[in-house]
Amino acid sequence: MTVFHFFNCAILTFGPHAVYYSATPLSEYDTLGTSVKAALVYLGTALVKLVCLATFLKVSENDSFDPSQEFLKALIGFIDVAGLYFALTQLTHRNISQNHKFQAVGLGWAFADSVLHRLAPLWVGARGLEFTWDYILQGIEANANLVFSISLAALGSLMWLRKNKPKTLIPIIYACAGIVATMPSITSYLRRGLGWHFPKVVGFELFTSLVMAFISWQLFSACQRPSA
Amino acid sequence: MASKKQGQRQVLESMYSVIALVFMLVACVELGDAASAVDVYRLIQYDISGVPFGSRLASLNHHASSLHFSPGADLSRTVLVIPVRELDLGFVKGTTDSDQNGGLELLKNKLIELEQSLIHANILYPVYFAFEDENVNAVLADIKKNDAAGQQATATTGGYKFVVSAPEPKKVASPVITNIQGWLPGLKADGDATQLPTIAIVVSYDTFGAAPALSVGSDSNGSGVVALLEIARLFSILYSNPKTRGRYNLLFGLTSGGPYNYNGTHKWLRSFDQRLRESIDYAICLNSVGSWDNELHLHVSKPPENAYIKQIFEGFTNVAEELGVKVGLKHKKINISNSRVAWEHEQFSRLRITAATLSELSVAPGLLESTGGLSDGRHFLNENAVIRTVKLVAESLARHIYGHQGKSIEIFANGSSLAVNPSYIRSWLDLLSRTPRVAPFLSKNDPFVMALKKELTDHTDEVIMQNEVLDGMFTFYDSTKATLNVYQVASVTFDLLLLLVLGSYLIVLFSFLVIITRGLDDLISLFRRPPSRKVKTA
Repeated sequence: MTVFHFFNCAILTFGPHAVYYSATPLSEYDTLGTSVKAALVYLGTALVKLVCLATFLKVSENDSFDPSQEFLKALIGFIDVAGLYFALTQLTHRNISQNHKFQAVGLGWAFADSVLHRLAPLWVGARGLEFTWDYILQGIEANANLVFSISLAALGSLMWLRKNKPKTLIPIIYACAGIVATMPSITSYLRRGLGWHFPKVVGFELFTSLVMAFISWQLFSACQRPSA
Repeated sequence: MASKKQGQRQVLESMYSVIALVFMLVACVELGDAASAVDVYRLIQYDISGVPFGSRLASLNHHASSLHFSPGADLSRTVLVIPVRELDLGFVKGTTDSDQNGGLELLKNKLIELEQSLIHANILYPVYFAFEDENVNAVLADIKKNDAAGQQATATTGGYKFVVSAPEPKKVASPVITNIQGWLPGLKADGDATQLPTIAIVVSYDTFGAAPALSVGSDSNGSGVVALLEIARLFSILYSNPKTRGRYNLLFGLTSGGPYNYNGTHKWLRSFDQRLRESIDYAICLNSVGSWDNELHLHVSKPPENAYIKQIFEGFTNVAEELGVKVGLKHKKINISNSRVAWEHEQFSRLRITAATLSELSVAPGLLESTGGLSDGRHFLNENAVIRTVKLVAESLARHIYGHQGKSIEIFANGSSLAVNPSYIRSWLDLLSRTPRVAPFLSKNDPFVMALKKELTDHTDEVIMQNEVLDGMFTFYDSTKATLNVYQVASVTFDLLLLLVLGSYLIVLFSFLVIITRGLDDLISLFRRPPSRKVKTA
């Protein structure tokens, strides 16, 4: 609905990324390069996922929930995790602390995700005359996704970069990582299998993202104590 | 070096195609984003000798409102959505000259009065007609609810926006009217040098109405066209065998330009040569024969005492008695100085040819009245009326041709091979009720005109098409059909509010993150930086 609306939805979708970068110490340590590299890795991962989906998935006529297809999609979703692993461990970063590394990677990851999945619909749809709430909800979803990506990056860095972890916490870490990684499958099940409407799904995503962020924050600070 | 340049050029070219593809995709996706798209039909726009009538504009782009607007509301930039059953005609008359935009109307019964007032008014804003369906009804209900709450739809309060993007209406350059005639020659005895007498049956097939894309004219004059085709079919069976061929030639005429003082008939008659004109014994014109119960009227312009008129009238009354219906005679003198031609037979009478019009209408219609407009639909038509008309006319003609006047011999009896075919009549009535036939918008190669020509060719020996230009008194403008896009829009205040909310959200997020990661002191220091720098440099 006019360029004004497009501008509003754009700052809702992409603003938090910029705010996160400038508000936290990331800007002071100039971690932009890390974020850019993480965004590129996301692009590569997305391409690989596309190819796998096209090869292995059947196109279904109706929009119902098919367990086997969803399971396959979840498996392919783990390629995401592999991409994140690659971004966290294999890329050469400048000398930045672990604390900031996962944040930068998560930020770059989430930004690439938003641009790839949400910029095109926004550009095409939000500029028309017809008004819908969809684009605002999409922006809120982008925010939730940012939190998810940062939590996943935090858990990932815990799993792969930190060598000495308290034994009791390891299963919890892996469990939380598993939940966050399968988030897309869970939301698609809610939307198709249970028939939730978009606002409800977005609300659920927002809530779980905050919960997961809190849990991973606690885990991170718990793991930080022995080494500190 | 050259290969590198070639490679670069190839990359550039492929980029051009990619960019072109992106533009096409963007354009394609942007096209269909309305809440609903409705087919709408524009009010006719025409001039009579330079005096403008009808709706003069085509495109509109305004907010929608219903009839329940609050009094004193500013209507200068709104589209009024009016269902026909709720329309009060005084409202239409009161607003023909004021500055107002658009009127989308939903079709129902009792349109004749509306049509007449719209046709004879000069309306400076676009007027469109549309059919009711769930989409339109839902939108209208929403608009009414908003209006009842006192919220007039403008740029700052949201609501619905109606957009019709139609090109500027242009004059139809040379409107063509096409007359089709079919000739069934009679039986000429050997050695007979004199010309056989001719009987003509003439019907005008075009219509005129408030919405030219919807003027199907089932009764005026679709019923006449179907009757003529059926009569032609019956006589072609009779005339196909030399033993049953009559000693009269039969001339069937499908003329155009009926609503415009029978302009087409006038031109058609002018094209006859002298011998043909003199050989015509009489002509029967049919006008609106589709919804009568038991009385038809025979309109004549020669005085009823005239011998020929008496003969024709008696022939009709005899058959009518047998069919159980009544035919009345109505006489209307022609005024040569008056250019108004109310009945088709008057064009014949002006050339001294005996003619009469058979019609269910008892009074001569005025200019542009009863010309098959909005209200003339298939459901107001009675098939049996058409069948009875065919029987009446065919029997009377046959008795005259074969010399059986006064005898009660039924030539086209039910159940015989010459019976009137109801399914033939029904299928042609259905076709006519689906085809709008306003003459300026019918080209000479229009499929419907071609279909009429083919049908006459099947039934008669010689078919001639005559294309003429409609006389200059009437000028027509195009752009008769368009698509209305209905958008649900939010107001500007909503956008501003949203901007405010988002701005504060981002500021809160920023402060929250600064506090968490760097501490509250850092946040405060952000606002105190300039003074502290001054201290440092000093």
